[in-house]
Order: sequence, then C-alpha cells, then structure tokens
Amino acid sequence: MSSHSAVEREDDEAVEAGLDALTSPQAAPPDKRARFVGRVLPPVIALVVIGCLWQALWAAAFWPEYQLPAPAAVLDQIVQQVRSGQIVGFLWVSVHRAVIGFAVSVVVAVPLGLLIANVPPVRRAIGPLISGLQSLPSVAWVPAGVLWFGLTDYAIYFVVLLGAVPSIANGLVSGVDQIPPIFHRVGLVIGATRLTAVRHVLLPAALPGFLAGLKQGWAFSWRSLMAAELIATSPQLGVGLGQVLHNGMSLSDMSLVMAAILLIFFVGVGIELALFRPLERSVLRARGLGGGL
Amino acid sequence: MTSTLEPLSTATDYAVRLTSVSKTFGHGESAVTAVDRVDLTVRPREFVCLLGASGCGKSTLLNLIGGLERPTAGEVELTTGRPAVMFQEAALLPWLTAAQNVELPLRLAGLDRRARRDRAEQLLGLVRLVGMGRKRPHELSGGMRQRVALARALACTSNDNALLLMDEPFSALDAITRDVLQAELLRVWRETGTAVVFVTHDVREAVRLGQRVVLLSSRPGRVMQEWSVAGDADIVDDINTRLREVISSHVVA
Repeated sequence: MSSHSAVEREDDEAVEAGLDALTSPQAAPPDKRARFVGRVLPPVIALVVIGCLWQALWAAAFWPEYQLPAPAAVLDQIVQQVRSGQIVGFLWVSVHRAVIGFAVSVVVAVPLGLLIANVPPVRRAIGPLISGLQSLPSVAWVPAGVLWFGLTDYAIYFVVLLGAVPSIANGLVSGVDQIPPIFHRVGLVIGATRLTAVRHVLLPAALPGFLAGLKQGWAFSWRSLMAAELIATSPQLGVGLGQVLHNGMSLSDMSLVMAAILLIFFVGVGIELALFRPLERSVLRARGLGGGL
Repeated sequence: MTSTLEPLSTATDYAVRLTSVSKTFGHGESAVTAVDRVDLTVRPREFVCLLGASGCGKSTLLNLIGGLERPTAGEVELTTGRPAVMFQEAALLPWLTAAQNVELPLRLAGLDRRARRDRAEQLLGLVRLVGMGRKRPHELSGGMRQRVALARALACTSNDNALLLMDEPFSALDAITRDVLQAELLRVWRETGTAVVFVTHDVREAVRLGQRVVLLSSRPGRVMQEWSVAGDADIVDDINTRLREVISSHVVA
C-alpha cells in the first residue's frame, strides 16, 4: 500500500473540515421578541380571561356577595393588607417556614434517596413505602403532628417534612435510575474509583431527575405547610397565610379567603418560576435537552 | 502500510497476551461460554482487528483485555498501563464541554489544572478539533463526538506503550464520516504509536485498518483464522468467504 503522502493528508483534512461544517447541528439565533410573545402573552391572556369571567359572574349576581365577592373587593382586600404592612408578616411567617422545612427535607431526603437508589435491599424494603407516602395527602399527618408536638412549629415542620421528603427522595432515585448504563462503564475506563465516579459521573448524570424532584418537593412543602397552618392555628404560632385563610373562614369574609388563596397561589408559583424553572432550564440547556422549557 | 509480520522476537515483546482465555456466564445448565480458549498476542504499536459476526464474544474479549471482566480460565497479561477504551457510542458526558470531557481522565489521574489544559488542547489538536473545546457534545456532529471520545481515550493512556481498545466505534456513523474517521484513526495511530485492538463486523474496515485481522467464530468465540494484511486486494474476498462459512455453520439443524 502506498505511503500516506502529505497531499493525501491535506486532502483528508479538507474533507473532514467540510464534513464538520456540514454536519454540525445548527442553532438558530434566539429571537427575543418572539420568545416574549410566545412565553409571556399566553398566561397573561389566560389570567385576563379568567378575571373577566369572574367579573361577569359577579355582575350577573348568580351567587350572593358573601359567596362570590367582586374581583375589585378581593383586590381591595390585598391592597389593604399591603398598606397596613400586615402582608409582610404573613408572607414572612409562611415563606420562612416553607424554606426551612424544604431545606431540612433536602438534607433528609438526599442520603435517603441515595441509599434507596444504590442499596437493593433498602430499595426493596422502603422504596414502595416512600412511593406510597408520596400519594398520601400530607394533611392526614396534621392531627398526628399536633398530638405529638402540640400546637408548635415542630408540628408544622413535621407535616412539611412528611410531604416533601418522599418526593425529593423519589426524584433522586429516578434520577439515578435513569443514568445511561454506559456511564458506569465510562467511569471505569477513565480511571474513576467508586467514590470519584459518584462525584464526577453519577451525581451530575442524575442531576436532571434530582432537580425535578426538588421542584416537586418544593410544591409539596408549600401545600403541606398551608394544610398545617390552616388546621393548626394558635396564637403562639404566629399568623401565616394558612391562618389568614382560617381567619377568613371564621369571619365568613369571602374576600379575605379569596385574597389568601391568591397570595398562596402566587407565592408558590412565583418561587417555582423565579428559582426552580431557571435552574432546571440552565441544567437541561447545557445538555442540549429541554427544548420545551 | 509497510509492515510485514515477523515472528515474535522475544517472549516479552507484547502489549497484551491472552493465553487460553475462556469466559463463561452463568452456572450449570444455563451457562453460556462466550469466549473459548482464545490465544492472542498483540505487539506494541500493532493494529489488530477482531472480526466476527454478532455473538462471537468480540465485546467480551475486549472487556477481558480492558479489565472490565475477569476470565473464567486462562490468563490476560498486559505490559501497558490501563488500556483506553472507545465504545460504539461516543458516551461523552453531556454536562461537560468537549475539552472538559478530555480533561476528566487527566483530572482523575491527579494532573494539575494547567497540565490538564495543555494535554487536552494537544489531544484535541491531534483529532483536528482545535477551537472546538468549548462546545458541548450536543453541539457537535456524530463524527466530531467520536473524535472527542478518541481524544478522551488517548487521555487515559500514558504516552508510550499504550493500548487502545475499540468496540465498533464507527459502526453507528454514516458512510462518508466513517471513511474519514478511519483515515483519521490510522493517522492518530501512526502519530501516537499506541497498540490498537479494534473490534468490527465489517471486513473492509478490518482490512483497511488492521495490520492483522483475526476471525472469530460465534457461540462460543474462538479464533478461526488470522491474516496479516500486506495490501493485496484478494484478502477481502478471502476473509469474506471464510466469514460466510463460519456464519453458515451456525444454522440450527
């Protein structure tokens, strides 16, 4: 066979460079305006439509005022809370509880999830239990929490933990399960030990599933917290959004109830949109995934 | 290619030597022998292609050499460091850039940041991906990913007396890209002087790349015949004929 000449090599190089140019995936430059229109407009339109329907229903007076207050009355209720500064107190009490509860849940759930994912007997023993707990409404734990811990913050954190830990642990387990098997072999052949393989290959590979679990865990801690605050009310506990809801019910003040529901909704969604969505998006984008986000 | 096969000069003149290696999966009646008493010697800087139909234990043989599996019987001896492995898919870590993928084995080997960067740059240059280091795997074409994987595999080896194990690395690529990458691999092999064990089921690929082609039978995998490639055109037909015979012998009666 002829020896590999310099001309031949240059030829190869040119062909290869041409192939690279032809076959590299092309990314279209992002169109900011189109993105804004496509992303922000639909939910805004939906909100406006819902608001209009509400206004129309109220104007038609199908239900008495104490059952369906006017949108303006609910808005006025929120504005009053903002003016008096009380809203800061409600939000602070609930949000700081949710954040602490969520943080503790993460600390508990991560080792638990890793244990379930990596130790088969543990998975067989408590895997189904953890999945089952996830479908148990956490409000069911409120009576037990109150009886065990009294009307204290501990009872509330207990409920939040039982709500959030299973979904975070499950997210981590499915993240680990979804690691392509080839990555285990990659870890071996590039010279990773068991420990460095976990640090450099397996944990990063499980990150998308883990993040999805975190996002769901946040949603679960927030709704568990509201359930706990709504039922476990006492002067010592301070007034969170759940207690505002409770007060609205006691006072038969529907506009207060609706204002509280709106606040609960917007805090929950707001934290997801402000924190978890961008985090998830940047992780998935870096891997060439998540076109829909 | 200029090399002609000479008999092994000394007993230690090998990169890898398999002596009567067998591998059986399972126990008792359900046991399957994937590899049966295989003797194989690969000399330093030699390019050997293992050829066979599916089920011939090619991949198992590669795993045995790479230390990913232990032989049931026989002995696998290596004079090289830990062999580098390339799979059919690039298997790059999608959260790392191309350069970081190449750097990871160096990082695990304990090189400092600067040495890692220099070596990764050098290796990416070797596979003609200068300036692509910052790209993520999904931003690269299949052929480019496989070249990054080659650079990463080379990063696993020490400079001299290395062994590269390749498990059908180009079989998932289109014909044009495969052709270019075969030329690329030969160039890299000449420049680095690593020994290569290349598994394939493509006779033409085996003859184009290998200095020696080893035909394996299927279930269990045994060495059927060996050819040294000295550039004659008939050898492809010759190997093809033999491969067809070997496959035909597996017709269930």
